[in-house]
Amino acid sequence: MSAGIVLTDGGGPLIPEAIASLRSWEVETRPAAEMLAAIDTVPNLRAVIVTSDDPSVQRALVERAHARRVAVVMACSDEASRRRAVELRADEWYRAPAPAEEIAWRVQSAVARVAPSGAELAQRVAHVEYEEMLYDALTGLPTLPVMIEHIRALFKDRGELAVLYLNFVRYTKIEEIYGWEKLDGVLETTAAAVREFLDGNKLRATKMMVSFTNDDDFIFFHVPAKDAQAATERDVTDVAVRLQQHVGARLEEAHGEEIAALVDVYVGSAHVYYNPKIRLERLIYRGIREAANAAKGVGERERARRVADLRQTLRERSVYVDYHPIVLAETGAVFGFEALARGVMRSLRSPEVMFDVAAEADLVWELSRLCRARAVEAMATRLTGDQLLFLNVDPHDFADPTLAGLEVADPQRVVIEITERTAIKDYPKFRERLKVFRERGFRFAVDDAGSGYAGLGSIANLEPDFIKLDISLINSIDTNFIKQNLVETMVRFAEEHGAMVIAEGVERAEELDAVKRLGVHLVQGFFLHRPGRLDTPGLQEASTPLAREPA
Amino acid sequence: MTAQPLPPILVVDDNQDNAEIIRQFLEARGYSVIIAHDGDEAVATFESVRPILVLLDVMMPGKSGWDVCRLMKQHPSHGRNVRVIMVTALAEWEDKREALQTGADDYVTKPVDLPDLAKRVERNLALLIPSR
Repeated sequence: MSAGIVLTDGGGPLIPEAIASLRSWEVETRPAAEMLAAIDTVPNLRAVIVTSDDPSVQRALVERAHARRVAVVMACSDEASRRRAVELRADEWYRAPAPAEEIAWRVQSAVARVAPSGAELAQRVAHVEYEEMLYDALTGLPTLPVMIEHIRALFKDRGELAVLYLNFVRYTKIEEIYGWEKLDGVLETTAAAVREFLDGNKLRATKMMVSFTNDDDFIFFHVPAKDAQAATERDVTDVAVRLQQHVGARLEEAHGEEIAALVDVYVGSAHVYYNPKIRLERLIYRGIREAANAAKGVGERERARRVADLRQTLRERSVYVDYHPIVLAETGAVFGFEALARGVMRSLRSPEVMFDVAAEADLVWELSRLCRARAVEAMATRLTGDQLLFLNVDPHDFADPTLAGLEVADPQRVVIEITERTAIKDYPKFRERLKVFRERGFRFAVDDAGSGYAGLGSIANLEPDFIKLDISLINSIDTNFIKQNLVETMVRFAEEHGAMVIAEGVERAEELDAVKRLGVHLVQGFFLHRPGRLDTPGLQEASTPLAREPA
Repeated sequence: MTAQPLPPILVVDDNQDNAEIIRQFLEARGYSVIIAHDGDEAVATFESVRPILVLLDVMMPGKSGWDVCRLMKQHPSHGRNVRVIMVTALAEWEDKREALQTGADDYVTKPVDLPDLAKRVERNLALLIPSR
């Protein structure tokens, strides 16, 4: 069948040649007098090429074609004709004579852009929107409404259904720290890992999955195979443990251990039995709620265990410090180190997790004190004379009297990093507090600068010596020109205020090139160094990223 | 024009004259251009034509440019293969942060400076084409 008919009132041999070059399109040529009638009667008519120069003929044809939702291309032999084409809202026009390729292109483009109007347009847009609602864009997984239709018949037939609820915690933290692009990537990896895991699993036969769009929980329905038994509690627990390991391993491969250590998966399950008296949807919703509650229960038990771990950590002072080099963008020479405290216990390895747990148990100050003490310990013996130590201090910690008594041999070499993420409410008071430290010689960095909507004004308020750009601005900066513009603005601002800009989270050569080109003074990131103990070989050396194995 | 024709650039602007000026300018440089006049039309055209680059006006009646950008970038099959340049004032820091939220790749300020526009179109296409 032909894709469509193109009707024209003449225009020489080029038009048929043009249409012939379009696969499966056909052309019909009619005398001018018959054109109007032809627009009404030719079946499968998709486009009209108007070659006439007569304004009234042009108008009549364009109007009739548009009334019939047929695309119009006007061949314009002069400027007046071209202007009319725009006035009449012809879908396309070309300056006649034009080569056949151009005519072909104009026809295609006109057909594509004959805007479906009114109801049809609304329907098409609605269709796009619905599709995005029913299938998660990142993972391609169907959402609940689609799923229910898929399992309706099966569930009825087998009579039972197991619901597994996978609750991924701290994914929001990833978004807070690294930005939504990173979280999108992590979710994609997660979905792929879950899918891969299910493929190689005994629950394989009838697995089906669901996710809420743009959220971070997954639900998975298991209907037992015809002659098989449904999953038992034991199966589920077993699956949960192995799934968590599998996802963790995949995340570490794809995004590094920092992120893998951040994420936990809690799995809850519930069984639902078919009951003809109750609507199937409600049975399923109930199952999901039960499974979600079970997952929450697992999460709470796990949290309680971690609080116990943290108490033990504080008692035994079992926190160590990794140092992440910050280097000069120009030379790669190590300028200083950021201290990153980590728990010795595996469950508290990630500093984010450790401080999360501390916040829940109301132990933040205790933990902060321990981390600070540990970070400063190594300074005197391990840092060379001119290297700086960057120390993370939460704005709330400034209320802690022990911070003021922080004993450091050489305060000039300590940079206190204050995150922009914790909203500082009372600037005058906060600056008063900073002043005390400044007078002792400490310097300041604003961490995560540009993470919120807050503009440069709030940064200027703190009069920092260093501005650390938010990781989300550096991630893929090489391909995003808006990020480049923001960083450029920040560099200019810093130079006006006598501060230096640090780009952290540099993970790729392209990102390093981009920030160097934009004039960023200092860089830090896995592409250059991984954080390590100060006696780790290579940590003190200037970075030679190209000789390093890829992350 | 013997090479494989490039997928078209979609220009979205509710002001017909603006759209027409941009179209003529880009066409004179050998690009194929399709115009849409509002957000809904842009989304529908995006679906059927699958452009690789979209020039998107922010201030439009109905769906705003931000909404349209979000919809395009989240499109299941084509969202990753399109780059979006917002056409906007975007003078403020907060506006640019907002732009990043929607997934936009670049922006040109209004009133559009045509040589600058050409530069931006070029650099965005340059990032798309070798990777395909």
